[in-house]
Amino acid sequence: MERKSLNLKASLLVLLIFSAVLAMSLSLRAKEFNQEDLERWDNEFMSVVMEGEKLFHSPSLGNNKVSCDQCHPNAANTHPETYPKFQQQLGRVVSLFEMVNWCLQNPLEGDPLAADDPEMVALLAYITYERRGVPLEPGKH
Amino acid sequence: MDRKYKFILQCAAFMATLMSCIVFAAPLGLPPVPIPPDNPITPEKVELGDKLFHDKRFSSTGEVSCANCHDRAKGFSDALPVSEGINKLKGTRNAPTVINAVYLKTQFWDGREPTLESQSAQPFINPVEMGLQNHDPILKIVQNDPEYLKLFERAFGKSGSEVTMVEVEQALATFERTLIGGNSPFDRYFYGGDKTAMSPAAIRGLDVFINQGRCVSCHVIEQTQALFTDNRFHMIGVAAHQMPKDLGELSAAVEHVRQKGADIAVLSDPKTSSLGRYAVTRDLTEIGAFKTPTLRNIELSAPYMHDGSIETLEEVVIFYNNGGRVNETDPVPELLSGGIRPLNLTDEQQSDLVEFLKALTSPEFARQ
Amino acid sequence: MKIDRRTFLKTAGTALVGSALPVSLVKVAFGAADSARDFTFGYISDAHIQYIKGKDFVRNWDMGLKRSIMEANLLSPRPDFFMFGGDLAQLGMKEELDHGLDIMSSLRGEVHYVIGEHDYYLDLGEYWQEKIGPLYYSFDHKGVHFVVLNSILTYDGWTHKDWDSPMDRMKAMARLDNPEGSPFMVGEEQIAWLRKDLEKVNKGTPLCVFSHSPLQKIFKGWNFWTEDAEKVQALLKPFRKATVIYGHVHQVQYNQIGNITFHAVMATAWPWPYPESYRQAASCLPKLTVHMNRADPFFERDATGWQYINVMDGKAAMHYQLPDNENRSVVYNHRTGYPEDAKYQDYADRVPPQKHY
Repeated sequence: MERKSLNLKASLLVLLIFSAVLAMSLSLRAKEFNQEDLERWDNEFMSVVMEGEKLFHSPSLGNNKVSCDQCHPNAANTHPETYPKFQQQLGRVVSLFEMVNWCLQNPLEGDPLAADDPEMVALLAYITYERRGVPLEPGKH
Repeated sequence: MDRKYKFILQCAAFMATLMSCIVFAAPLGLPPVPIPPDNPITPEKVELGDKLFHDKRFSSTGEVSCANCHDRAKGFSDALPVSEGINKLKGTRNAPTVINAVYLKTQFWDGREPTLESQSAQPFINPVEMGLQNHDPILKIVQNDPEYLKLFERAFGKSGSEVTMVEVEQALATFERTLIGGNSPFDRYFYGGDKTAMSPAAIRGLDVFINQGRCVSCHVIEQTQALFTDNRFHMIGVAAHQMPKDLGELSAAVEHVRQKGADIAVLSDPKTSSLGRYAVTRDLTEIGAFKTPTLRNIELSAPYMHDGSIETLEEVVIFYNNGGRVNETDPVPELLSGGIRPLNLTDEQQSDLVEFLKALTSPEFARQ
Repeated sequence: MKIDRRTFLKTAGTALVGSALPVSLVKVAFGAADSARDFTFGYISDAHIQYIKGKDFVRNWDMGLKRSIMEANLLSPRPDFFMFGGDLAQLGMKEELDHGLDIMSSLRGEVHYVIGEHDYYLDLGEYWQEKIGPLYYSFDHKGVHFVVLNSILTYDGWTHKDWDSPMDRMKAMARLDNPEGSPFMVGEEQIAWLRKDLEKVNKGTPLCVFSHSPLQKIFKGWNFWTEDAEKVQALLKPFRKATVIYGHVHQVQYNQIGNITFHAVMATAWPWPYPESYRQAASCLPKLTVHMNRADPFFERDATGWQYINVMDGKAAMHYQLPDNENRSVVYNHRTGYPEDAKYQDYADRVPPQKHY
């Protein structure tokens, strides 16, 4: 008689543990991203790329009406895949945003942007997007 | 006994190598000294070159040696706007420092000589420098003077009539190759990691130098060493009013160079001198372009520019701030280098920049 | 001095001032039959004078034009005439055209103008014709027949679209990478005019056509393109010695299509990247072209400049004057029938700034 009740308790315990684990694993899977998330996040990214495209082609980015695309149509010849690199014009190894700032201050005769300024982030997103698919070559001159 | 002897020899050899490495190793902030394979540095050549450098007999009046215009006490320059040779004859150009000249890819303000060796032979035969007709008087002395007989033998294994201008040039160049200066307050701060080596003003000045001042592109600083020159030629607007204004004046100056040779022509006439690199290459895009000098030890070699026309570092900074003009109202020369433009530096930025330039002096050459 | 291929290429078309090789020897190497008719003309192009506000223009482009003119005024012997290759203004404004013409007035020599799209699309060439001259024409000089085309027209539907303003249309054409741009063309009216004009010209007469767009199809995305290029080329085909010289691309380019040699001129304002540097679209840069030396943007004049052209036996030897960069010569080789870079045509001779893009 006692053994039977012991078995019952054991089974109930196993059942309880099993359900708990099942419940947990179900809720864990629900936190992973799905296709819908990917598409939404891609749109979030592209919205910043489009913002960057506007800024890149804007005569108001610097102080002399010159826009980036005048020398860099489609952001060509910016080589984002080579950063960080030794940048001759700055005498040291820098990241891409520092060279963007060099251009803002020199040919565009304007002011630099902070690395995390939304405008800088947008510019970098556009510049990099136009160079998509090109393998990384950090340090290439 | 044998083994002990061998061991002592090995130690001695090691110490000798170590010593020569110490003597010829580059100071902090400089790359290794470039040495041509046909003229290695030896202490004997250095000693001989030093003596030749200071020998006034190699001039028509017996009063001018290399050291007249390249005086160790004056930063290996002469503190004059333009140098003075025999009988105080004035040339047209400011004496560049010899310190760190070994790192330059060409010599003279217009780069007309490719090496220290070939440069060293020119002033002897220039009418406004040592004034000799040719190198024969020099050879006469080095082939007969007892002291030189000994020194050339030691340095080259040659003496008397075996000695030619080649050996003279090689000795002078070797001496000059030892005149190197790094380890300045800037070097200790930038490469040595000593954040107290420069004053706060000089540290701010370094930031101006690299960024708003736009200096670093020509006066090069790199990640592990800094030559402060790009070894290129630029027309920055100094004495632009002296440059040929039209084809007639240009043709006359070119004719002068063709007839007399560049070395004599450019030192005898300011208008010809103003041609700069064009006198050497005849490239229209290089009219009025002069070589970027190093800024190391710049505090010691006033006055400044190829014609010594700017007296102080403060005025140099003003000149650059105005975009290559002494006064803001001066016209902008059409042939101005594309790297020169107004900088809009504040007064504080300008004085910080000057403080930075003063931090480029090597301790062994600093004024006592 | 032995004239082997290397020496020939190195000295071909050397500068008039300070020539290393006697001119007569060079002509013999070219096989020139009629040295008396050889001459030089200068070419200045793509100034892009850009208005800011008040009396201010972009200093960088002003300096580019001024420098080129100053150097051109110092060339000796004097060239017979100068061409201006188009894009005098950036946005076709009267202020820009006036300021540009004011600077051009210091150039010593007769000037013939070619119109560019930056000059045209604000007022469709009205001010240009008033101040400068016709948009297409021809002239003869020392036995060469020169033609100037307006090759930056485009489809009527685009030009006469319902734009918000003329400046809107101008800005749309000014944006090189405009995904909603429209391709350049010469158009039927000019092709008909050209056919008639060339009817009167002997097929042995050297022919030189100036246009702003390339009269070839190189890269549509940046309008390095002429939509009816084949039609124009067909009209030039009967001429034994035909050359096309064009602007717009702001870089060294050259090509040979059948009997026609193509040469691009440099901008005084700024350089453009080579089309292959935009990886999201295909392009066809002529294989012959040795790239210009890559520029350092610190030097505002790097990869900008002007050129003078020696016409030798009816074909062009193009000499690029590039401050802060290396001067280049692209010379038509009568023996091989191709234009060649005088120093770097052999791949083995090229240097990193030409390969390291």
